[in-house]
Amino acid sequence: MTLGLEERWTLIDRISKATVTFGKYEHTLKDAIGELTVKPLTGIPVAIAILYGFWSVFGSFAGTLCTDGFFVKLFDGYWLPWIQEAFPGQGDLLYRILVDAGGIDSGEFVLSDNCFEAFGALTSGLFVAIGVVLPAIVIFYLMLALLEDVGYMPRLAVLIDTMLHKIGLHGYAIVPTILSLGCNVPGVAATRILETKKQRFIMMTLLAIFIPCGAQIGIMEKVVPDLLGWILLYLLIGYFIFGYILNKIVPGRAPEFLIDVPPYRRPLLGNIAKKVGGRIRGFFTVALPFVMLGCAIVSVLYLLGVIQFLGDLLAPIFVNWFGVPAETAGPLVAAFLRKDLAVAQLSVIEMTEYQMITAVVLVSIYFPCVATFAMMLKEGWKELLGALAALVVVVFAYGGLIHLIGILLGVA
Amino acid sequence: MKVLLMGHPNVGKSVFFNRLTGANVTESNYPGTTVDYTKGWMKIEGEDVELVDVPGTFSLDPKDKAEDVAVAMLHETKDAKVITVIDASKIERGLYLALEIIEEGYPVVIALNMWDVAWDKNIRIDARNLEKILGVPVVPTTAISGEGIKELVSRLKSAKPVEVDDIIANAGGLT
Amino acid sequence: MKKKLSEMDYDEKGTVIEIDRDLQKRVAGMGIRVGKKLRMITKQPIKGPVDVIVDEAETSLGLELADRIIVEVD
Repeated sequence: MTLGLEERWTLIDRISKATVTFGKYEHTLKDAIGELTVKPLTGIPVAIAILYGFWSVFGSFAGTLCTDGFFVKLFDGYWLPWIQEAFPGQGDLLYRILVDAGGIDSGEFVLSDNCFEAFGALTSGLFVAIGVVLPAIVIFYLMLALLEDVGYMPRLAVLIDTMLHKIGLHGYAIVPTILSLGCNVPGVAATRILETKKQRFIMMTLLAIFIPCGAQIGIMEKVVPDLLGWILLYLLIGYFIFGYILNKIVPGRAPEFLIDVPPYRRPLLGNIAKKVGGRIRGFFTVALPFVMLGCAIVSVLYLLGVIQFLGDLLAPIFVNWFGVPAETAGPLVAAFLRKDLAVAQLSVIEMTEYQMITAVVLVSIYFPCVATFAMMLKEGWKELLGALAALVVVVFAYGGLIHLIGILLGVA
Repeated sequence: MKVLLMGHPNVGKSVFFNRLTGANVTESNYPGTTVDYTKGWMKIEGEDVELVDVPGTFSLDPKDKAEDVAVAMLHETKDAKVITVIDASKIERGLYLALEIIEEGYPVVIALNMWDVAWDKNIRIDARNLEKILGVPVVPTTAISGEGIKELVSRLKSAKPVEVDDIIANAGGLT
Repeated sequence: MKKKLSEMDYDEKGTVIEIDRDLQKRVAGMGIRVGKKLRMITKQPIKGPVDVIVDEAETSLGLELADRIIVEVD
């Protein structure tokens, strides 16, 4: 037999009266901090400070300390010269795919002098994975785990609900969004905490298009540090513009926010270590193999001239519609498979700052990486097709819009 | 035997799961970390028992996809026993979910978790009396330190379906 | 005095006297029900959610939900 709602509550009242005594509750410091971090007047400045702190630690630890301070020296100084010597068959096909694509200077094959430009799976591929992406992912997940275990995330969700409500989501959408900044794969999985199909579709589409993952941010931080702020700003604006539009055109309900806000808790070191370890393992076993595969395929396509061909074919679109130089066509095509390396390639092309911003934003909003693609397929092929349709529209509309803004500002 | 771990989000189900199976499931201090279920095995008196860490749900009326998974999982495994994990410091809403599961005829064991937190908040629960009224085993636990977990496991086999009418009678009627 | 939960002032306490039918089940799991005492701790600007404390547990409800809960203020 089952009870009605009211009967059940009456029964609970009875049971509670017979078995529970509530003593006087003393408010603790934790409760006070809890309230201060959720009240708008104090909570919003705190949220901004926390996110800013998150960002500065991310940049200085991953970019400056690990990548520049250690891995660049290790890879360019020792690994690259060693493998260039040790690997047999300098200049032939396998060598150029695995070690160094090199360059041709007056008919001679010339070796690259750093791991960014070698474009071999064992040089650039490995360097990007270990030297750039690994530190970025580690520090990102470590800080995120801290915020999660302390219990800050629900409060952030409450504070940001008003804004996300405007795009058909609600405050809780901040969880998949932030997770995606590490890797889009767990981000897409986390869309399940949203109530309706409509909300999950909007969220998944926005994640795939506008949220760059830790690998991409790590690379951008490395090669275009001065422009990173602008790039992220354009992505954020796009997230809200297209979220607003999607909310208007996607049918379905967008229910209201209703969440439990747990008390703050002292994080357990063991749990954090396990969680960070698990996520990093997840990244390297699920996402990274696809990334390496992408790197190899791109190298092959380059050597076969396919990228050059597509680049030449599409160059007029890039030049006229997006306002970027014709040389970017190759990397922009290759970005379908390898976003992070594409950014590195773009960074060495001669162009204005505004063109660089446009090009990198385009790379970011492009096709999701293969691992994310697979994850989205798991959530449903209809959703995936819908997201891809949205993607094509967004690339052209937003790319064109950024170009237009540039023209109006007189910088494009 | 199959055992489901159910309860509100964020009450420490994953901590139980790790302790019982020796697995490595993590949890965060916000609802919805476990959006998919996790299975593991434990041994009770030599018998292999399958344990499922079900996503947290506030009630059996699902409001999102993670809760859908939880409720569907319960309904698919009719022969399962259910460990209902309740935050002892928020006992009333925990009992709401526990009653819903009991009403559907599942044999239930209740873990009054976060016993230490409830104690700090000056909330005193007469677990023995609660057990008498509900007719299902009720065990105070603190999953993080491991207190009460052994007892919880040992009481699992004595869990039996209970008639709601009996609970109502034990509580002294509804009026 | 009766008012909607969404109209309560900061730190005001009261007892829930009415919840919209469609909403009762949704908030039941959070321990919010007719007869419960609650305290409103904060609401966000520009139609943001309302935070209440029931039995020392904090819940945040969207404004439209809070509009459908009536409270007798102490």
